[in-house]
Amino acid sequence: MSLIEIKDLKVHYPIRSGFWNRVTDSVRAVDGVSFNIEAGETYGLVGESGSGKSTTGKSVVGLEKVTSGAIMYKGRDITKAENRRKLDYNHDVQMIFQDSLSSLNPRKRIEDIIAEPLRNFEHLSKDDEKLRVLQLLDIVGLDADALYKYPHQFSGGQRQRIGVARAVATNPKLIIADEPVSALDLSVQAQVLNFMKKIQREFGISYLFISHDLGVVRHMCNNIAIMNRGRLVEIGTRDDIYNHPLHIYTKRLLAAIPETNVNSREAHRASRLAVEEVYREQQSKYYDEQGEAYPLVQVTPTHAVALPENVAQQLARQEGEVQA
Amino acid sequence: MAENFEQHSDISAADLARLTQEAQAEATPSTAKIIWSEFKADKPAMAALIIIVGFILFVMIGALFINTPKMMETNIMGYFNQPFTADYWLGADSAGRSVAKQLIVGSRNSIGIAIGLTVISSTFGICWGLISGYFNGYIDWGMQRVYDFMMMLPMTMMIIVLVTIIPHYNSVTLTFIFSIFYWEGTSRLIRSRTLAESEKDYVAASKASGTSHWKIIFREIMPNISSLIIVDCTLSFAENIGVETGLSYLGFGLPAQTPSLGTMIANANDPNNITQYWWTWFPAALEIIILCLSISYVGQVLRRAADSSQRQGSVN
Repeated sequence: MSLIEIKDLKVHYPIRSGFWNRVTDSVRAVDGVSFNIEAGETYGLVGESGSGKSTTGKSVVGLEKVTSGAIMYKGRDITKAENRRKLDYNHDVQMIFQDSLSSLNPRKRIEDIIAEPLRNFEHLSKDDEKLRVLQLLDIVGLDADALYKYPHQFSGGQRQRIGVARAVATNPKLIIADEPVSALDLSVQAQVLNFMKKIQREFGISYLFISHDLGVVRHMCNNIAIMNRGRLVEIGTRDDIYNHPLHIYTKRLLAAIPETNVNSREAHRASRLAVEEVYREQQSKYYDEQGEAYPLVQVTPTHAVALPENVAQQLARQEGEVQA
Repeated sequence: MAENFEQHSDISAADLARLTQEAQAEATPSTAKIIWSEFKADKPAMAALIIIVGFILFVMIGALFINTPKMMETNIMGYFNQPFTADYWLGADSAGRSVAKQLIVGSRNSIGIAIGLTVISSTFGICWGLISGYFNGYIDWGMQRVYDFMMMLPMTMMIIVLVTIIPHYNSVTLTFIFSIFYWEGTSRLIRSRTLAESEKDYVAASKASGTSHWKIIFREIMPNISSLIIVDCTLSFAENIGVETGLSYLGFGLPAQTPSLGTMIANANDPNNITQYWWTWFPAALEIIILCLSISYVGQVLRRAADSSQRQGSVN
């Protein structure tokens, strides 16, 4: 059984307008998303900004009001607040935020910030709690001096590590990492990601890794889901997505990864333009009449893509021939 | 579970005391220390603080030694006595009552009402604004309609009517009557900041850490808008001195036998008093000006202390 099963998750925001301010339409931020996260794995959720990946992540932590669908954890639907309370759900599922500065309360000292989940869930004695905070700081590579300082006194990378320490404090089973490194520069990104990997090895934590940076996702994730306009367009293993992409949106995302090899600059540019050309000409093949993604169909046991059945089979065959 | 952390960190219980001490040495100074150093850096504000605290203590204690009913008795022999004499330090008014003694008791009453009013109306307004802004949605809608209704009432008129209807009132009941009408401004101000503040990620992080709503409101959001709260409280304190004074001046504040700064300034209603008997109203007016100026100086220091880019003092 999977750690977490997300079934047909929908999050719609009402649009109000007119004289009576009635609900006239809705923004479908997340529109029927289903996937499972296994224990100990890193699941990547990729998409452009506004594709609904953060909303999905927040729904899984319980910060977003879900319109319909279910998120099953230990056999219970945690989209209901009472089930979350009964399970002590946030003891097991924590979150790392994108903006490290605004996610740490500027008026609280680091000790109080990291101890917050401990105080709510574990009720340790004062000394045990301080010891745990010191150990957590040590695990993310910060000194004990940090204990009584305020968040603004740290650099971005250090702050994000404090965020990681807070998320790990209760030894959770799943951490939602909502673009944890996209606000950091490259050298610090690697540092924070390595701490996250180290913690995963040591504590056996699963991550739901939300990102738009495909390079980072490749480094971190075993399974990847690609999200577009509130729906999943492709699910697969790292190999499926990076080496056998089927949906045009996935191909565009992959083509957008910058290439540092200067000698093949022209070739790379040509392939990018080719993908863009296909996108322009064949949009109607990949999206339905409303411009939304089709439901997912299974191509191989690990790989699913949002296309009509016959098109998916045809593309998979083509892909196979190219590989062969 | 605890073992899990032991395994992956070199830190054990033995190091606790040493590391705590190390951290203590590097600790960032507390807010109280920052405020104090800010006062030390700004001499006029320090003087203002001393004036306010000294004056409030003086009138509070001094008023205890004055027999108010006896003081308020008419003494025909002291009719408009000149100031700076042995019996009347600041002269006497038309009923021969000592201006100096009235000033002390009157200040006690006025400042007492101002403090009480600030405490009650600000506490209520802050809570109202915080709760309304944090929960948003239907709760916010309902609370803001109550607010709109209160704002619609003509405040001064209502107070005058209430004071006329209630047969016996003193400074305590008057404080409560004022409090009904003076929480709105604060509540709107606090609500607007709370709306912005509760969208921030640290609130989401607290929710994800399982912290309860009330704890998030009062322990997470409130400290973050404390600079706004402090400035608003100091300013409304200065304003509240004016509220009671203004109404007493109009004759609808404290009863005639209870001296206050307002009733003393009301002496200036008489053109004779303005031109010839300046000592009957001038000390009270001067006192209000000095107090309000001092409070706004102190308020500025508190605002600077809350905003690190404006600080002038250096800690340590």
